[in-house]
Amino acid sequence: MPKFDQNAITSMILSSGVILSLSLIIIGVALVFIRGGGDGVPLSEIANYHNPGDTITSVSLLPANFIGGLIAGDGLYYISVGLWVLIFTPVTVLIDALVTFGHERNKLYTLLDAIVLFNLLLAIFVIPRFIG
Amino acid sequence: MDPASILLSFISVVIAGFIAGLLGSLTGLGGGTVLVPVLTLFLGIPIVFATGASLISTIATSAGSASGYTKSKIANIRIAIGLEVATTTGAIVGSLTLIAVYKTGFIWIIYVIFGLVLLISLVPTINRARFELPKAMKPDWTTRIFNLYGSYYDQRLKKQVDYHAVRWWLGEIVMFFAGFISGLLGIGSGALKVLGMDWAMNLPMKVTTTSSNFMIGITAATGSSIYWFAGYIQPFLAAATAVGVLAGAFLGSKILVKITNVRIRWIFFWVLAFLGVDMIFSGAVREQNLPTTGTISYIGFAISILISIVLLLLLYLKVRREKANA
Repeated sequence: MPKFDQNAITSMILSSGVILSLSLIIIGVALVFIRGGGDGVPLSEIANYHNPGDTITSVSLLPANFIGGLIAGDGLYYISVGLWVLIFTPVTVLIDALVTFGHERNKLYTLLDAIVLFNLLLAIFVIPRFIG
Repeated sequence: MDPASILLSFISVVIAGFIAGLLGSLTGLGGGTVLVPVLTLFLGIPIVFATGASLISTIATSAGSASGYTKSKIANIRIAIGLEVATTTGAIVGSLTLIAVYKTGFIWIIYVIFGLVLLISLVPTINRARFELPKAMKPDWTTRIFNLYGSYYDQRLKKQVDYHAVRWWLGEIVMFFAGFISGLLGIGSGALKVLGMDWAMNLPMKVTTTSSNFMIGITAATGSSIYWFAGYIQPFLAAATAVGVLAGAFLGSKILVKITNVRIRWIFFWVLAFLGVDMIFSGAVREQNLPTTGTISYIGFAISILISIVLLLLLYLKVRREKANA
């Protein structure tokens, strides 16, 4: 049986998730400043986080537009994807742990991990349809 | 606003995040618990955006620091994932509760609850780390069924420590509340998670703090996605806090090992107590529909400084008396 270090893999996923996310966020901020805005919204409005009614929020940045935004070099989408990489980093850790528990034939913890994953995916894909 | 002042404002948020990350790391409370009050009380940022930016930044700090802990095998990933069943459920309920609170317009309640949670969290945080290893408890039925055994190498004690956890069910109950608070207030609620593993499950302090750090990311990710679609995350603000908090937490973890003087931590605790009291005051002002700037905010600052000094003094005396008795 191949011997692999579960903790080392988890550690690698976590650190690469953070590095990737921060790089995207920093590129995004630079792009927003250089291009004077993003997603058709001027910089002054993007930076107006003191007034909830008069600025851009996450609700208008749809994941369906992420790839198009990245290709167009839109800073707001680089920031958004960077933030979503953060959200998906724990999901990746859970999937990796699920595979490991399954491999060890640890039925109880495979089930527990699946429940946690279910909760997370519920929060990401299902609950948003009912709010807003 | 011209680009130069926007850049300045952006940098001030990064610095606020940095300070929050640093203080959060040095006190063990986590960046979010400091970030939300700093953003709302000092930078006048609406609490809805402050909690959103805080929660998503919390994932970055958790992942950043947990990558080190998991590699050194101190964090118990198995026990942590088992407990995440409760924290993620709690986070869903907590974030949905926050949405309901915003819809009804009772935002001041969030300030008050935040202040109370911050103050209450201080007690176990200050008491923490006095005992490296818990008093031995007999394994119970949950220890066997959920295989709550583990071991790690303790650098300070210079030996391999074998441990086991008990009362899994009680840990799950505490973790549900930890998740709920995380979703409701946009923080990692590390203090509550530590309480769950330390007090409820009798795990060694090192395993507790590192595993809790690992768990915070998963809990915060659950709440963050709900926040995203509710429109609570202002991307530009969250970008600034994510970078700032992570940098602050990183520096904090480097300094922490070098701080040998325990008394210096009391100054940090005082800052946190002040933020807690001022959040409650700020909530009360909002409840009365009074202006949140000007004379009232100065009176609030003065009162909060006074109350927090008294609170901390009482806590300091209590800890000293317990030490003398021990």
